[in-house]
Amino acid sequence: MTLTELRKKLDSHEIGAVELAQDYLKKIKERDAVINSYITVCEEEAIEMAKKAQGVIDRGEAKPLTGIPVSVKDNICTDGIRTTCASRMLEDFVPVYDATAVAKLKAENYVMLGKTNMDEFAMGGSSQTSYFGGPTNPYNTDCVTGGSSGGAAASVAAGLCAAALGSDTGGSVRQPSAFCGVTGLKPTYGTVSRWGLIAFASSLDQIGVVANSAEDTAYVLNTIYGYDENDATTSQKSMGDYTSMVGEDISKLKIGVPKEFFEGTDDEVREAVLKAADYYKHLGCEIVECSLPSLKYAVAAYYLISSAEAASNLSRFDGIKYGYRSNVGEDYNELIKNTRREGFGNEVKHRIMLGNYALCSGYYDAYYNNARRIRTQIRNEYSAIFEKCDVILTPTAPTTAYKIGEQENDPVKMYTADICTVTVNIAGLPAISTTCGYDKNGMPIGMSLTGKAFDEKTIVAVCDKFEKDFDRKECAL
Amino acid sequence: MRYQPVMGLEIHCEMLTNSKVFCSCQNEFGGGENTRVCPRCSGMPGTLPLLNKGAVKLAAKAGFATNCTVNNYSAFDRKNYFYPDLPKAYQITQFESPICTDGYIDVVGGKRIRINRIHIEEDAGKLVHDDYEGVSMADYNRCGVPLIEIVTEPDFRSVEEVQDFVTQIAQRMKYAGVCDARMEQGSLRVDVNISLMPIGSDKFGTRTEIKNLNSVKSIGRAIEYEIKRQADILDDGGEVVQETRRYNDSQDNTKSLRSKVEAHDYRYFPEPDIPPVVFTDEEIEEIRKEMPELPQERFLRYTEGYKIPQEDAKLIIAQKEFSDFYDEAVKITPEYKLIANLMLGEISHQLNDREMDITAVTFTPANMAKIAEMAAGGVVSKGSAKDIIIIMFDKGGEPEAIAKDNGFIMDNDTSGLDEIIDKVLIEQADAVEKYKNGNDKLFGFIMGQAIKAAGKGANPALIKEALASKLK
Repeated sequence: MTLTELRKKLDSHEIGAVELAQDYLKKIKERDAVINSYITVCEEEAIEMAKKAQGVIDRGEAKPLTGIPVSVKDNICTDGIRTTCASRMLEDFVPVYDATAVAKLKAENYVMLGKTNMDEFAMGGSSQTSYFGGPTNPYNTDCVTGGSSGGAAASVAAGLCAAALGSDTGGSVRQPSAFCGVTGLKPTYGTVSRWGLIAFASSLDQIGVVANSAEDTAYVLNTIYGYDENDATTSQKSMGDYTSMVGEDISKLKIGVPKEFFEGTDDEVREAVLKAADYYKHLGCEIVECSLPSLKYAVAAYYLISSAEAASNLSRFDGIKYGYRSNVGEDYNELIKNTRREGFGNEVKHRIMLGNYALCSGYYDAYYNNARRIRTQIRNEYSAIFEKCDVILTPTAPTTAYKIGEQENDPVKMYTADICTVTVNIAGLPAISTTCGYDKNGMPIGMSLTGKAFDEKTIVAVCDKFEKDFDRKECAL
Repeated sequence: MRYQPVMGLEIHCEMLTNSKVFCSCQNEFGGGENTRVCPRCSGMPGTLPLLNKGAVKLAAKAGFATNCTVNNYSAFDRKNYFYPDLPKAYQITQFESPICTDGYIDVVGGKRIRINRIHIEEDAGKLVHDDYEGVSMADYNRCGVPLIEIVTEPDFRSVEEVQDFVTQIAQRMKYAGVCDARMEQGSLRVDVNISLMPIGSDKFGTRTEIKNLNSVKSIGRAIEYEIKRQADILDDGGEVVQETRRYNDSQDNTKSLRSKVEAHDYRYFPEPDIPPVVFTDEEIEEIRKEMPELPQERFLRYTEGYKIPQEDAKLIIAQKEFSDFYDEAVKITPEYKLIANLMLGEISHQLNDREMDITAVTFTPANMAKIAEMAAGGVVSKGSAKDIIIIMFDKGGEPEAIAKDNGFIMDNDTSGLDEIIDKVLIEQADAVEKYKNGNDKLFGFIMGQAIKAAGKGANPALIKEALASKLK
């Protein structure tokens, strides 16, 4: 059922908001012991919100998301509800304010079911670095969900919410959506306010949506996007309805297929994505071969920029003001050292060290400044491609979901797995991932459609067309 | 002294905005601990800075006040370091692209001191140490107070140049409305970089930095101490260590805070949360047009427009409020010199005696103008004008009423004056005789007797005139 259909059922009183919330909470109880997609389930709050929503519906004042059960990634601040970033550091941290995206959902009387699992501080591609233990893939619970918004993707795939808010710094919405066989939209940088999103890499972070379809992601984006005085990097553009192009004729569009994205991918992934290209070709779209030569530098540039910003952003966690504080430490320096040693997991520490190293005065030019240059280069290369194409089609990840524990000890392999998604963040562009096939083990294969800046409408429409003609398999739960 | 001192300054000024630089908390001095703190300035997770446009404007004005170029493009960077008074563990500042560059101020001896840059940054909080309990507590009220840092080239060669520069910066920032320049409260703080080189050399020695000097006097003393300390080291064949030092006012010495090896690597990088500040030429011109009168401009108005002696003009201008009071008064009664004399004379005298500031007096510039008008018009004598001022300081009141109540209104009726003077001349025949024999000094004595005889309110000018003609 799409969100539009759900809306109709709520408005026609075919379903009650409380009843709907209870259904989801029941499913969470049944399934989430294994899936572990939620860190915090907000049972009481959800029922309260649903009651309030029903009141609004009864008065005939329903907005698009009134009464719709949604999960929120646990790095997005929720007033009065703990927000952990899946870290021991913030295990008991309760924000005193709502993120703007959450406030906008609240203003429509949505129903928040809980806070979803993720990689610690959103650093990772498996969600296995969570302090609370990683989530499992609803298609095969021996496999990872992808990450970092693994809980968000799994919660949607397992039917534990109608839609989910995630965040995407280098693919963190799209890649888990691909692994869990759902749809994930990462909007253009500056579309959704970052106020209340606990920062990982500020110049790359963007709140995105995971849902059952492209149209649903756009439906949620309609509510959460917009200029916010609290985030100076938000765009002032008024975008109207992100679903407005859904159903329109897309056969005149030009779809770019950049060859570099297909070079290191698994055969099954490559074939599935190229088959999707064929699908569009049969519709009448022109498939344009193109190139992003700097892709080979993208992962390095991404890890330098994101780790540098992360090192700075995470410095505030010193045990002085909030969050975890070590019991050991005679003076400030000792206290902060022990607090951070005990409060952060290994992956977070790796990135902090990498980031600080890249910013050191002796290495700044070689690392950080070069990464900035590559960033400019990648933006230019995207501009060149978009002179010839309307959207770009790539795999979302080189592989499908792998077994839990498989890549843990191979950081290089883990980092290079981000190659298909990071350039979009580096260039600040919008992209959407959807399922385009299944591998021999039945695990979903994801493809991504990347658009011009602020042209979410086109990629949503192009994605929607494919989804309507594609036979998506439900996970066997 | 075989050494030439070389100095450069970094001056921090707290800007007079209503709110802090990256949040809407009030920007004030004092108050209870952590009473002006919000999620933003206390560095709560998920918060983002919101640039105060008023602070940017004031920083541009600081540039105009110091002959700087105000740049079309400037941007913010992060300076990363851990300290409990810095809740985000980074300070937002401008490193690569400051708002103002390439300024100068001319100091004593006509020497030009170049200003490298002025940039915007946020202040940190304060730590309160409780030695009794053995704890330190953080007060974040000052976190996010908007600062500018004015950085000079190493152009200073003497203490006098430094002190004059700091005095001028304080005045200009005050006049431009950028900073209240209260050094004792820390709203203007000075760091001095200082090195010695052999006289005749042009190769700078190793420098030390003395941090957070908070009066013009202690700047002088700290520099003199540091020059001597470094000279002693060099005389002994030693090497000055590059380090940061703190000046202790009560002990009159400087002590090492940290050496170069211990220095932080601040790992600067562009602040991703704040888009660059971009001004068009027109916008910069708009800000320039809003510039209030600066002290050097006021000096010219006083000396050339009002014909006030240069030294007097400087004294009036030294304190902006004092000068503003003067300006208000002369606007009503354009007795430029008379009002200047009264203000630098009796008013300053009373302020000093009472340890008061002009901002604390209860009378107004209009009262001042009235006194000047009465004195100039011969309604009261200049001596009475001073008495009126004293009474206003003591009890307040309107100048005219004070003059009437105390009989200061001069009697300008000359009838009867002749008889009074004749009587005095008879009574003081001895003195008159001596005066006529050449003892000129006795004129004053006879004059005094005549005024006494004429009683309160007599016009001394008229008495003098009449007396002079009779003694001819």
